[in-house]
Amino acid sequence: MAETKSKLKSYQKPENIINPDDELAIEVRGLKKYFKGKKGFEDVKAVDGVSFNVKSGEIFGLLGPNGAGKTTTINMLIGLIKPTDGTASIYGYDIQESLSDVKELIGVCPQEHAVFKFLTGRENIELFGSLYSMPKEDLKKRADELISKLDFSNASKRKTKGYSGGMLSQLNLIISIINNPKLTFLDEPTVGMDPRARRRTWEFIGNLKNERRTVLLTTHYIEEAQALCDRVAIIDYGELLTIGSPKDLMKKYESDNLEGVFMKITGRRIMEGM
Amino acid sequence: MDIRRLFALLKIELKKIIREPAYVFLMFLFPAVLTIVFGFAFSDPELGMSFNAMAPGLFAYACIFIIMIVAQSFSDGREQGLLRRLAITPMKASEFMGSQILANMIIAMLQVLIVFILAQFFGFSANTNIFGIILAILLMAIFSLSSVGLGLITATISKSSGVATGLSFLFILPQMFFGTFIPITSTTRPIAMILPSYYATDALRSIFGGSSLIASNILIDFAFISIVSFVIVILGIILFKKYGNK
Repeated sequence: MAETKSKLKSYQKPENIINPDDELAIEVRGLKKYFKGKKGFEDVKAVDGVSFNVKSGEIFGLLGPNGAGKTTTINMLIGLIKPTDGTASIYGYDIQESLSDVKELIGVCPQEHAVFKFLTGRENIELFGSLYSMPKEDLKKRADELISKLDFSNASKRKTKGYSGGMLSQLNLIISIINNPKLTFLDEPTVGMDPRARRRTWEFIGNLKNERRTVLLTTHYIEEAQALCDRVAIIDYGELLTIGSPKDLMKKYESDNLEGVFMKITGRRIMEGM
Repeated sequence: MDIRRLFALLKIELKKIIREPAYVFLMFLFPAVLTIVFGFAFSDPELGMSFNAMAPGLFAYACIFIIMIVAQSFSDGREQGLLRRLAITPMKASEFMGSQILANMIIAMLQVLIVFILAQFFGFSANTNIFGIILAILLMAIFSLSSVGLGLITATISKSSGVATGLSFLFILPQMFFGTFIPITSTTRPIAMILPSYYATDALRSIFGGSSLIASNILIDFAFISIVSFVIVILGIILFKKYGNK
């Protein structure tokens, strides 16, 4: 555990290069998602009137326990589910009216390891790249670059059927950015990774920021949010509780870390909800 | 529709069939084994049964099992989150469904060839020319559409791939018993008349039996299979899109 922490601590957070007048990557206004309750039960308010902005080039974290509404928010933004109410746009494109434009701009790393088991890692990467109509040569070059950056060369030649959880997470991440997206949604991207892989992934996500790519990251790892995010929104029971840079939030709530911030607001620990 | 995307997905579908042992068995070995077993069992003149008469039913028999493959494949994709992941990309639903339909049409055509070649060893003689064989292959490709559609309907109503396998027999068994090589009685005829496999077998029997390729019964069978298969596959796509991918 101590070794894990020291390995993760050696990660250097990239400098904040966001300008106040940067364009908005994501604009969310009063977003709601209610799921119909079973007979005799009330509707489940998975997301209840959430509003926030994410600037272009920012790493923005959605932090909260399981069931807080993080994944539902992402699923609405990427067009997988329709909001009950509210609006959202990605680089100015409304998520409901211009979903096909939105899809060209984004990459998504889902929580589940959704890859074809009978294909090798590389075949999976190239398949998803081809769905973005990338020219063959560009796709090959991009796949080589990402495989090398994440030290995934050997694994990429094997069928994914025999992959460990950590390897599947790495493959998931590579697939999500194969199309060089302006905005990447990373839903719990480091679950199942060992400390070395997690550190490499943090560096990798940090590099996306250096390339001025926008990232929306959901995580329940406090240290991950603190290490990577320029700003975080803490959500619980579908409501946005607070938003700000980790440093400002810790100062505002007089706490040493974001776990303390969550506890001050809700009276519970983030891990309690898991 | 982006043809490159459609072919990328088609290539993956065909790779799955080659790399997954269960699919290899159901798609290619099963029709081969079936032809060999039935060939040995029914080609003895002492039995008084003609393999020639039952062989056309074997073509349809193999193609019916596409229902199970499609139902399993879509249920698996849904369980593993693959369908959701594909839906996030710019890929259009029509490209995905198109790739599935094309892959299964290719499989159906290969199945016809496998059964046709093996049946020759048991005395099956197709009393037709090359156009008749092409027509038979085309007919089975169109018939496979109905199997894809019924597979999609099965996946829509199934909660898991295990359930999908079981439920697929709701569509497989009637077509197997009342629409292929098992003799039809006056009691089972009304059931057979609503099954696509009955018309497929009937058309194949006429084609291989030496009828003119534009004989009225072949044209009627062809029209029936085309219309019904098209309706079933469209219905399957609509139902799966609306209720199946949740």
